[in-house]
Amino acid sequence: MTRYKRQDPEITRRKFINVAMGTTAAVGGVSLLSTLGAANPVFRLTADKMPPLEGDILVHAEASKEGRPITIDDLSTQLVRAWPMGKDENGADVIRKGDPNNILALYRFPKGQLVAPTNLEATIDGEVVAYSDICTHAGCSVSDSDINAGQMRCPCHSGEYDPKRGAVVTGGPPPKPLAQLPIRRDGDRLVVTGFFLTPPYPYHNNEAEWNNLKREVEEALT
Amino acid sequence: MNQWLDERLHISRLNDKFLRKAFPVHHSFFLGEITLFSLIILILTGILLALSYEPSNSMVVNSFDPGTSDAPNLIPAAYHSTLKINAAPFGDMLRRIHHWTANIMVAASVIHMMRIYFTGAFKKPREINWWIGMLLLIFAALTAVTGYVLPYDNYAYNTLKVIYSIAASIPWVGEWVAQAAFAGKFPGDGVIPRVYGYHIMLLPGILLALTAAHMLIMIKQKHTQPQYAKRIAYKKIVGVPLMTQQTPIMLMLALLFAGIIVLFSAFIPVHPVEYFGPPTTTPIENIKPDWYLLWVFGVLAIIPGFEFNFLGGNINSEFVGAILLPTLTLGLMFAVPMLDRSRENLYYAENPTNHPVRLGLGVAFMMLLAVWSVAGYKPELISAGILTTENANTVLWIATFLVPALSYFFVQAVVRGIRALREADERDRTIHAAHADD
Repeated sequence: MTRYKRQDPEITRRKFINVAMGTTAAVGGVSLLSTLGAANPVFRLTADKMPPLEGDILVHAEASKEGRPITIDDLSTQLVRAWPMGKDENGADVIRKGDPNNILALYRFPKGQLVAPTNLEATIDGEVVAYSDICTHAGCSVSDSDINAGQMRCPCHSGEYDPKRGAVVTGGPPPKPLAQLPIRRDGDRLVVTGFFLTPPYPYHNNEAEWNNLKREVEEALT
Repeated sequence: MNQWLDERLHISRLNDKFLRKAFPVHHSFFLGEITLFSLIILILTGILLALSYEPSNSMVVNSFDPGTSDAPNLIPAAYHSTLKINAAPFGDMLRRIHHWTANIMVAASVIHMMRIYFTGAFKKPREINWWIGMLLLIFAALTAVTGYVLPYDNYAYNTLKVIYSIAASIPWVGEWVAQAAFAGKFPGDGVIPRVYGYHIMLLPGILLALTAAHMLIMIKQKHTQPQYAKRIAYKKIVGVPLMTQQTPIMLMLALLFAGIIVLFSAFIPVHPVEYFGPPTTTPIENIKPDWYLLWVFGVLAIIPGFEFNFLGGNINSEFVGAILLPTLTLGLMFAVPMLDRSRENLYYAENPTNHPVRLGLGVAFMMLLAVWSVAGYKPELISAGILTTENANTVLWIATFLVPALSYFFVQAVVRGIRALREADERDRTIHAAHADD
């Protein structure tokens, strides 16, 4: 009687199935991840999405007079919202409202009221000043405060800014002041003379990304 | 017909398993059912709304006010279709029913959860259902938030902006996560189709699957028995069977509930999209989330602004207030069953006054959320003159700690009083019983 000796295969059936299932799960998981990547569409920097640039003129953002250039007489100590208007690649006027974070806040104060840390060089005669109107906290559009006269207040989480002092934070959760935009006067019109002086929302905590954007804009223009 | 079906599908076996399930007779056991009815009403009205809704944020001419051919009045297609729904017969009514039912669903589930917590029904063996219930609550809130965005009026637009920036505030991966979740930089061209997909497919699917699991586990594990069941038949399941005694009660409750909702919706308008207008950069004054998210909003309003760099990631007050703190709060709620050490399976619903620490902590927790919700009204409190800009944060932070602590001790005092009365009653009863023996 020959003794039957069971020969162990090199790999057991159970182990083979486990490994096969594990591999399938891993490959399947990774391929699912790639579809997740497709959920994030490519960003194209078109003219309407560029930040305010040198040479842009400021136009009204209010629905009833949108697109009409702002004159100095339109401005007061009450906030006026503005869009930058530039040219697209064909030379046609384009309001840069493809990125809602381009909305600007304009004020005109009697001479002497605007003080540091406002950059007075970047204002018009120390009277007219332009800020990003986007709260550095959660990206809401900031308004005039109805509680403390002369202050700006964000309706979302009650962040407060002082527009006479470089829009420094005077209350609430915002981490940074509003970014100031350098402007000059050209006849009746207000013209932008460069990028925001500090990174605006949402780049306020990421200077490198803001510089990247500026470089991309400059490349796109040349 | 019954026989015909039974021969093919063996429904009589279903009968033994499910349809004879005993339901305890106590009004607090109807809260979960109301949540379920709400979900059904939401799905029905949601289907009707989806038939007329156009999920797109591309601009179309407003057919109600077309403007001129030189300057056409362009509004997002989603907002336009919402206006059309409002103009359709009973269209506004459908939106109101959907909106009110969503609010009531969250309210009913929160009260349902309070019943579970205060009577100890989350204890072994029902921990899994507590966790599933927590997930249901979270996904219900997410579904509600995505539903908020769909009309795409100015309110929805500003809400979406805040949600986007909260997602983007996660350190390291935030910007990528926000763009992947909302189809590109805000407001991406595909943002409304994306949110629509979440609201009508992904999230309801998750809700239905979780609800099914919740129900099946409940049938398998059976309800906790109310105290009266102990007196009637110790360690036996007491209650009325689903078929046929519980069913008419449920139907009556469902119809009554639907009637109340319709009555509500007929008289109380919701979310007037015409008033808010299409998306603009002009913000809505005192924009607020729904009541069940007001506490997160309150935390954001009173948290001081800060940000710092941690291993290359940017950690700011928004992340801490809107993601970290709520995660901790929800984590605490998830951990509730693990705080209980009993090895025994729980049969009978417990009297909350026999567990004063649990009762007190639960009340303190709810008071904490209440204080944070009040903090959500900070601007109103300031303009009403109750607080000033300078002292608002200090006062609200002190209240954050003081109010829950005080309510904890207040509950302990009340419980002591109730127990003293109960003991006095028992003494009386034994004395009288002794007299009766004489």
